[in-house]
This record gives sequence, structure tokens and C-alpha cells, in this order.
Amino acid sequence: MTELRLTRVGPLVTVQDAGRPGMRRHGIAASGPMDRSAFARAGTLLDTAGPAGIEFTTAGLAFRVDGAPMAASFDGGDFTLRHNHQPHAWPSRLDLVPGDLVDISPGAAGNYGYVRFDREMLVPPVLGSRSTHVVAGLGGLGGRCLRAGDLLAFGRQLEGGCRSARPASAAVGEKHLRIVWGIHADLFPAEVRRRFVESTFTVSASMDRMGARLIDREGVFTSSVGLSLISDAIVPGDIQILGNGTPIILLRDHQPTGGYARIATVISADLDRFVQMRPGTVIHFCPVTLDKAHAALKDCYP
Amino acid sequence: MIEDAPPSALPLIQPLGDSGLLVRFASALSETANRAAVDFARRLMADLPAGVDDVDANLVSVLLTYDPAKVRFDDLAGEVRVLLATASGDAPARTRHSIPIVFGGEDGLDLEVVAASLGISEAAFIERHCSRSLRVLATGFAPGFVYCGFHPENLAIPRRTEVRRSVPPGTVLFAARQTAITATSIPTGWHVIGRTAFRNFVPDRDPPTQLREGDEIVFEVAR
Repeated sequence: MTELRLTRVGPLVTVQDAGRPGMRRHGIAASGPMDRSAFARAGTLLDTAGPAGIEFTTAGLAFRVDGAPMAASFDGGDFTLRHNHQPHAWPSRLDLVPGDLVDISPGAAGNYGYVRFDREMLVPPVLGSRSTHVVAGLGGLGGRCLRAGDLLAFGRQLEGGCRSARPASAAVGEKHLRIVWGIHADLFPAEVRRRFVESTFTVSASMDRMGARLIDREGVFTSSVGLSLISDAIVPGDIQILGNGTPIILLRDHQPTGGYARIATVISADLDRFVQMRPGTVIHFCPVTLDKAHAALKDCYP
Repeated sequence: MIEDAPPSALPLIQPLGDSGLLVRFASALSETANRAAVDFARRLMADLPAGVDDVDANLVSVLLTYDPAKVRFDDLAGEVRVLLATASGDAPARTRHSIPIVFGGEDGLDLEVVAASLGISEAAFIERHCSRSLRVLATGFAPGFVYCGFHPENLAIPRRTEVRRSVPPGTVLFAARQTAITATSIPTGWHVIGRTAFRNFVPDRDPPTQLREGDEIVFEVAR
């Protein structure tokens, strides 16, 4: 049996798989990879990828392979990968044998990277998924972030698969995010809506799996609207405006419902690209029709 | 804020992101709008429209999560409109749950303040709180967290101005003519009035929550 001994683990490193959709009625977000296309791309580097992989953040992680050989693949952002201290390409695939050391450290771009394996990770599925939802304490290893010293065990190599098509990498350098207007857009004055799409915002350092705060240097939002709004359904990509005017883009571990006004939703095809934007990135929002959002999604996941 | 006025003639059908269709029965919380949302969600769940992966009722709305590769938003919206215009038939029987609560003391730090702000004794508050059954209005905010309503007007008080950083599972909360029960540790701005041994959310049970929207809840004083 193959085991991974985690020797160095950055913050907010978790086990993720495709997530647990359909649990909203129990008050649980779907979770799953922050950058779903990078997670899928990592899987295409293996003949058959196990459903669960490790999501890591900028600081990366390091591990040692024990027990038996296995293949691993790496994608998402641009990290520095070393195999037994030798630099290795990113993204890539490695055939690992017991005693091998793998070290993933910060690279040129991106916030989230993925390592996937040619076998199943032996952590119990919770509500149909191995995805970790840290706030709810579900999935992964005891519902928590991974830490140094953790041991992950794997089953036999998966067989009979055929590689799925490799989804396209998101265009790097594009700083505009396409949005569809949100369920409370009509509550914001027309002037605020106009400034929202004509101004720039800056990605702040405050990003986790629940959401990312934006810096509104131009003061588009000095306050929210409708502070006594009734709590309503939230989806990933929703842009909510807090009472003090701070915009937050809600992400994979969002609360299922919330009562802050939501002016817009980042379209699904652009959300993976957003989560890879580092703090300090200047972005602007571009409204599109629902048809455009759906066409973009088809291009992204054909 | 609860308004007992009837909802506007037609519910609002609008996109929520690019794979959600939200049917909103009102913009404020009311008994009528909540019943309409719960009832409509039940009908949809019994017979999911093509291309719809999930249906979930919120306080006054229903979210349909759809796959845009399988159904167009406009077509789904049309189907929803037809369903809304069709009589719903008999409401299904409601499941009744009894939930024992330990009120006040260390388990309900705000009970004294709540009773005082209503101008009644703690005993009178407890008696009124448990005197009639409530309905589960929605599950939301956090795993297994339920909103139950509505208490009569003479028990209406707003939320606290301060947020408590964390209350444990089984905390009984009170505000805005509702009683809510936590199933995980959460921050809250509601008044903490008691504690229950009842746990609505147990991850290794199928389904993981016991209470459904529309269920009848009877609160009892734990012995």
C-alpha cells in the first residue's frame, strides 16, 4: 500500500474531490476544488486519476512516498516542483517510488495548486464526497486542513480508464471578470451599478475557501443597501456588499444562504481564473448576458 | 420583519448566477410567502424538471440548480411559470417533532434580557414560547440550522446588536418572532435562550438532517 507522509504543509491545504452538490437542503455548500478546471487538468495527466486529490495554497507542501510506487500529477497556478531535490516542470506528472521526496514551493503565479494520484485516497467519503469543508468540519482528514506529520493512505492503482480531454488553461493576464447581475442588483442605484462596472477593484490578501474580500479604492460602495434583506440562496461567485461597503466574492465553501445584498455573480467560466489572482491584482467587472455566460462555460468545459 | 400581507400577484423568476433559477415569492418574510415557497419546492422535488439537478427551499424563495448544457434558462423559466399557475393539490401531511429545551441559566444567557424587554417574567416567556407549535420555515446559513416560526406579535423582539463569535451545537436562538436551533458551532447575533440535546445534523446519517421545511415543531421544557 502506498502512503504519503506530509513533511511540510502550508496553510489551508485540504483534500478535495468533485464536491458534494445536492446538500444545500441540509445547509451545506458543495465545496470541491477552488479552481475546478486546474483540478480536472491535473487528472488528465494520469491514465486514471483517483477522485480525490490535495489542494494546496501558495506556500505549497512537501511529502515522502512510502510503501509502494504510484504516479502523481500536478497542475494549477505556477508552482516550483522538486522531485528528490531536482527541479521538475510545472504542470507535470511524476512516477514515484518509495523513499521519493516531493517538494512544492511558491512559484511565479497563482494561489491554488493540485496534486492527484493514480489511485484512490483512503479517507472515508462524508455525504458522498471526500471534499473537506473546514467550517462545517466535514470530509477529508477529520474535516480539517492537512498538517505536517499527516499520513495519507492509498488503495490499488485504478485501472481501465482512458484520459479525458484536457480542458483549456484559462488565459493568463486577463484581469476582467465577466458577471451576470445579481438578485439584488435592482436595489443599488443606477449610478452605483454604472460605477461598479467602470471602476477597478483590487484583490486583497483576505481570501479563503469561503470568500475573497476586494479592496474598493475608488469608493464605489460606501455602504450596502437593504440592510434588512431576507436571507436568500447564495451561489459561488456571488458578489456581496457588506454593511461597511466591502465587496466579497463568495467561493466554494460559501454559506448556503445569506442576508447581505448581492449586486452580481461572477460567471462560472471565470471563477477558476479569479481564485488564482494574487493579492494586489487589479480587476474589473464586465456584465454579460446569461447566453454569453453559458457559451463561455461550454468553451471552458466542452 | 414579517409582513402578513399576501405576496405580490406573481412570484419573481430570476437567474442566480449562470446555473441557478430563483423563484422569489416575496421580498419580505411572511407566513404566506414561506408556505408558498415550501409547497412549491416540495412539488418540484417530487417531479424534478428536466435539466434540474437540485431544488432547495429558502425562507421565501426556491432555488433550482440547473445544468445549462441540458436546459435553457428561458425554457426552464417557462416550465416553472406553468407549474406556478397550476393548483398544487393537497398539502402533504406534516411531520411533528417534539424538541426539549433547557431554558435560561448558563444555557440561555439572554433569557433574562429577552423576558425583561418583553416586560414579562422568564417563566411567562417560557410558557408563551412553548404554548403553540411552530413550523420549520427553512434550513440554511449552516449545516442543519433551522428557522422556526412564527411566534405571536407579543413575542417580537429584534436581534442583538452584538454578534457572539461562537455558540455550540444545540443552542436555541430567538429573534424576530422565530426560534432557531444550531446544529454546528456558529457565530450569531440572535438571543441565546436555551439549549437542546436534539441534533438536527448528523453527517453519517442518511439523510443527514431530520427536520424538513414545513414540519411542525413542538417545544417542551426539558426535565
